[in-house]
Amino acid sequence: MELEKALYHYFQFTSFRQGQKEVVESILRGQNTLAMLPTGTGKSLCYQLPGYLLEGKVLIVSPLLSLMQDQVEQMKSMGEKRVIAINSFLSPAEKRKALSNLSSYKFIFVSPEMLGVDIILNKLREMTIALFVVDEAHCISQWGYDFRPDYLKIGEVREKLGAPLTIALTATATKEVREDIVKYLQFRSWEEFVFSVDRPEISIGIEILGHKEKQQKTLELVQKIKGPGIIYFSSKKLAESMAAKLRDQGERVMAYHGGLDTESRTLIQQQFIHNQLDIVCATSAFGMGINKDNVRFILHYHMPLQLEAYLQEIGRAGRDGKESIAILFYSPGDEQLSLQLTEGELPEKEQIHHLFMLIQQQNLKLENIHLESERFIPACGFSETQWRVVESFLASMQNENVQEVRDQLLNYVTKRIRLKQQKVYRVLDYIQHSGCKREYILDYFDDQGSSAKKNCCSSCGLALEDFYGSKAEEMEPNLRYNWKKDLASMLIKQVGDLHEKRPIS
Amino acid sequence: MTISFKEAVFLYCMKQIQNERSIYSLYHLFQGKKSSQTIQDAHLFRLDPFFQSYPQITREEMDHIIGVLHVNGYLHSISSEYYYLTEKGEKIVQSQNLISLPPKYLQGWKYHQITSVFWERLSLLVQVYSNLIYQNKGFIPIHNKPENLAWIKNYIKMQTGKRFELANDLYTELINCFQQDENIDPAVLTLRLTGHNKIGLTEGQAAEQLQMDSFHYHLEFLNILHYMIYISTNQYSKFPLLSGIIGNKPQTVPLTLSTEKTLRLLEKGFNTNEIARIRKLKESTIEDHIVEIALQVNDFDLRKYVSFEMEQRILTVTRETSAKKLSQIREKVPEANYFEIRLVLARNGGRPWN
Repeated sequence: MELEKALYHYFQFTSFRQGQKEVVESILRGQNTLAMLPTGTGKSLCYQLPGYLLEGKVLIVSPLLSLMQDQVEQMKSMGEKRVIAINSFLSPAEKRKALSNLSSYKFIFVSPEMLGVDIILNKLREMTIALFVVDEAHCISQWGYDFRPDYLKIGEVREKLGAPLTIALTATATKEVREDIVKYLQFRSWEEFVFSVDRPEISIGIEILGHKEKQQKTLELVQKIKGPGIIYFSSKKLAESMAAKLRDQGERVMAYHGGLDTESRTLIQQQFIHNQLDIVCATSAFGMGINKDNVRFILHYHMPLQLEAYLQEIGRAGRDGKESIAILFYSPGDEQLSLQLTEGELPEKEQIHHLFMLIQQQNLKLENIHLESERFIPACGFSETQWRVVESFLASMQNENVQEVRDQLLNYVTKRIRLKQQKVYRVLDYIQHSGCKREYILDYFDDQGSSAKKNCCSSCGLALEDFYGSKAEEMEPNLRYNWKKDLASMLIKQVGDLHEKRPIS
Repeated sequence: MTISFKEAVFLYCMKQIQNERSIYSLYHLFQGKKSSQTIQDAHLFRLDPFFQSYPQITREEMDHIIGVLHVNGYLHSISSEYYYLTEKGEKIVQSQNLISLPPKYLQGWKYHQITSVFWERLSLLVQVYSNLIYQNKGFIPIHNKPENLAWIKNYIKMQTGKRFELANDLYTELINCFQQDENIDPAVLTLRLTGHNKIGLTEGQAAEQLQMDSFHYHLEFLNILHYMIYISTNQYSKFPLLSGIIGNKPQTVPLTLSTEKTLRLLEKGFNTNEIARIRKLKESTIEDHIVEIALQVNDFDLRKYVSFEMEQRILTVTRETSAKKLSQIREKVPEANYFEIRLVLARNGGRPWN
């Protein structure tokens, strides 16, 4: 009962979601904990609540800058001011300021590359770390779909910090990956909580169809099916053009991808959350850190690159626990695009050779390469993703011999490509699997708990009509826009609204 | 065959530079490159309102626009980078009802340093006030640059009134500001604002809602921002909240860093030749700097570099022949060197010739 009180006190929730309580209790018992909780079940509460109950700092290692930023902002919007993110977004002046005030923060987010910086590490060593959090812990394993070599250092850093109480969190990790997490974090004793990745409220449909039908089918489906929904694409261009076609059809829809400016990205995300948009045509850049409960459908226009990502993406549906559907469209040959994309994520041989030639010519130290990203990215023509791979690999190396490191990197890239290609073929296998789709996924994650249900998947039987519905909200008649009224509704408190929200005392 | 708004704007700019500059000078202008050449050209051809008004432009897009104008017979090419307007092109630019350029309040050069700061802070301010009066704490700031968030915290702390009144005051200021020119359409701005109950539109969505060409909307949005900056800073006692957004951000345009250094040396009494040696730069580069200074610093004395009689002769020639090409002027005033001609044009370029 005590814990529920604390839950209400800090989060105003009256009950825990599945898994949260067990995990929190394990930490409060002082046990290192590995928790695998499906997407959308409130992972962050698992460290925030014990964080509040423990004396000392909570240090959170998080791999993605955007995700980190989202989490910090969410905590701030909940009223937590003692939270800060230390990453390469900060200017040197901001970094200095943050470091000198570090002790005034309770929750400190840090990117793995920042943990390699001595000043930061030393600063952290002066403090009491009550809880060490490794978010997206699957990044530590090279079997993971999102391996980050610099995550390998976390174990060492953890030792340097005096092996504080640790929680490793992930949404999707196979058995191999979980074993790696424990190994690299150097846990001597730990508790493991693996909750089923099954989301019974999400029905799974796979449809195999010809290339030419795809577009038409999408337009038809979106008209019938109940929103809000997200349509995932592998290409920005297609996301844009489909959004335009759907708009012509009268849908409230926008495209979202990494090519947009920051302002548009924030606005589109927020419009979707606030139900001003019903559909987002997105690339995989969309969805991380988005808390929207009522997403009713996820449509994959292209096949995802791995089952792990697929699971994350479909997991954005039905967070309110209500019936939702995930549909994947596959046309024979789609895997070729996936294979190409996989290769594009990794640096090419020529680029690596060019980079190391520059390094040798200019006699640069390998450990300083990350400081020069602005110069090397254009010089070698790296994409951001490619550069991240290089940067992360170099950060994980201790070898000073430039030639050896180059060969190791080349070798590493070849291996990664092979692994990623295997993952693409695994998705293909899943698509073509004639048995239960849900069981296939559960099997992949060595997960036992599955329950036959109505509308389980397209193999078991799926009545698409069950997901049809009228539009989420009938569009308001397009009234003439009145700027004065709009401005007044934002800045002048309307009398009628007074009783709606009272200050929480 | 109709011409898009963007093409019309570029056609207008092509007319301004006549065939004296390459098309890439426009690329630099719209992108907002801070080189002496671009800054001087902007003033010389009176295109300074457009400075940095479209920073997203790429060389490819530039080529494409010019290509379209050329293929459709609005431009005649002299070489791959130099064009002049055909009769058809001239007609477009002169037809009053098609476009009135530049937009009335657009001041790209004057305000380029504060434009986006002004917008980001204003929209944050509206969002924060709106959520404050509705006691809504859980919202995601629409702009999240740490320096802006820190600014807004400070700004609100400094206000003495009650929060209801503050939001009210901001509302009143905005209304008063918009009402000073009835040709301004405030919807261009308000559609983009985020409040407690609605998220603002993106640039593309707002253009669509107003049924405007997207580039036209883009310029109109800058136009209204510059209008607001202009009105509120010139009547700051009437608009304390709006002018407070700009605060003491530099409004006057500084010299490029390199020119600044040259100016400091000039003030110490070094001459062009000496400065070139000290700074290990070509003398012609130092001359470029001096032209930039002549353009920016009103009380900079030209007499050291060009005599009064020479200045008058150059001005007379430019007035009589409306020549702006340096070589044309030099033909008529052979005693003057190019440096002298450029200085005179820089000093007088921004003002009416006659």
